[in-house]
Amino acid sequence: MAEISYEGQTTREINAALRRLVAQGETELVVRHPGARHNLGVATVQPVRLTFAGSVGYYCVGMSDGPTVEIHGSAGWGLAESLLSGVVMVHGNAGNGAAASMRGGTVVIYGDAAARAGVSMKGGTLLIGGNCGYMAGFMGQKGTLIVCGDTGEAFADSMYETVCFVGGRIAELGNDAILAELTAEDATFLATTLTRYLNAPLPDPASFTKVVAGRKLWNFDQREWAIWREAL
Amino acid sequence: MCGIVGFLDKTHNAHAAVGSVLCAMLRALGCRGPDSAGVALYGSGEAGDLVLQIKLGERGDFEARSQEIVARVQGLGTLRERSRTAAYLRLVLSDADDPRQVERLIEADDHHVEVVSMGRHLEIVKQVGSPQSLDATYGVSKWTGTHGLGHTRLSTESRIDLSHSQPFWAHGYPDLAIVHNGHITNYDTMRRRYAQRGVRLYTHNDSEIIGVYLAERLSRGSTLGEALQASLTDFDGSFSYLAATPQALGFAKDPFALKPLLVTETETFVAVATEEIAIRAACAGTYTVREAQAREVRVWQR
Repeated sequence: MAEISYEGQTTREINAALRRLVAQGETELVVRHPGARHNLGVATVQPVRLTFAGSVGYYCVGMSDGPTVEIHGSAGWGLAESLLSGVVMVHGNAGNGAAASMRGGTVVIYGDAAARAGVSMKGGTLLIGGNCGYMAGFMGQKGTLIVCGDTGEAFADSMYETVCFVGGRIAELGNDAILAELTAEDATFLATTLTRYLNAPLPDPASFTKVVAGRKLWNFDQREWAIWREAL
Repeated sequence: MCGIVGFLDKTHNAHAAVGSVLCAMLRALGCRGPDSAGVALYGSGEAGDLVLQIKLGERGDFEARSQEIVARVQGLGTLRERSRTAAYLRLVLSDADDPRQVERLIEADDHHVEVVSMGRHLEIVKQVGSPQSLDATYGVSKWTGTHGLGHTRLSTESRIDLSHSQPFWAHGYPDLAIVHNGHITNYDTMRRRYAQRGVRLYTHNDSEIIGVYLAERLSRGSTLGEALQASLTDFDGSFSYLAATPQALGFAKDPFALKPLLVTETETFVAVATEEIAIRAACAGTYTVREAQAREVRVWQR
């Protein structure tokens, strides 16, 4: 296991050190004192274990492919943006736009997520242990968004085929978001995912509300002008 | 961009190291806006004196203007202290019964001069340049007090000079200060409305209107929390802003959560900042930080 300390180093130096160590064959890396700096571990494309022993800033491990990342603190804006594969776990809260545009893999936020979590998801799973803020799931195209707590307003607005599950209260559904019946398959998927990542006591999968796109915005219809005006 | 910070000591220490905390936070956010930096610091106000930080101009003969100002305030109170640092004249007046009259007389007929802050607790210094140079000029990191605000600016729509820098004192309303990150997009409409009522605006910086708005609400009897809440519907645009009075520190965040604001509260302090990096740089210890949600309003009382 290799350790890197933030103290006295620039972000570029930390990231260069990470790349060098990975190229040398290190598979377990720990960054001490990350100090909430931005852009840490961006574009990590090897299946390494990467641990941040503290909070990270914006865009942490964005555009990564395959790593297993643990953040022992909170994360700033754009956590794991465009993640292709791998697992990113935040043992704290996340800022705006967590897991935006993720294409695959799993992002777990054990605390709360701020606004626009999982916007434009294109695959993978975003699991939020706490609450999420305004406009989570906006324009989600594929993948799964699970919120164990409450959601903010405009939840799941203008989605394509992302599927959302909410354990708590939905403050307001977004445009074209509708409730759907929780199937046995959904409950099994939820039970498996929650068991894998969360600590007991686990929420009851049967208590989750399923939200999907109503598909009214998928094709333009003059008769639905009012909803289009709101959505645009 | 722009970076805003706020810190409140919860230990009832009237001489907490607020200045050094604010400076450390601003240094960490300096890259968000190198145009200007400033702090608003609340002291204990134990003596009950009126403290004024007066801008003597962007350039010119500062000493001559200082003497004119000192002559004008004679008779409005007892001048207990007088000092000049860079472009600022600092006066301490005791027995000043009518602060508004003091402000009017100081600024009378001289467009170079502006009362940057006035109050029994509040002092603001701000200038063009980095947080480091602000500290070097005014020794802000040695200032103590109960709470305070700070700002580092990336100018987008108005001039870069001392008056257009932040924090803004709400002119005419002692001890009320704000810092803002964002754009108030209905600024022109609001500015016109205030101008029609005879309110003087000192700059073309949209952030100035926030102080004017809050002062008006507080004058009508609103609490700071009520005023912040009302601003969510009266202001359009993107904003995270902080506001402080001698008794309280609060924030409001716009309905779309377009601007960041990170918050932490422990047993001993409250810290808020545009980025967590500022809080981690200035406040040691183990604590969690979260991002404020859309439409969130929060006020901490001292």
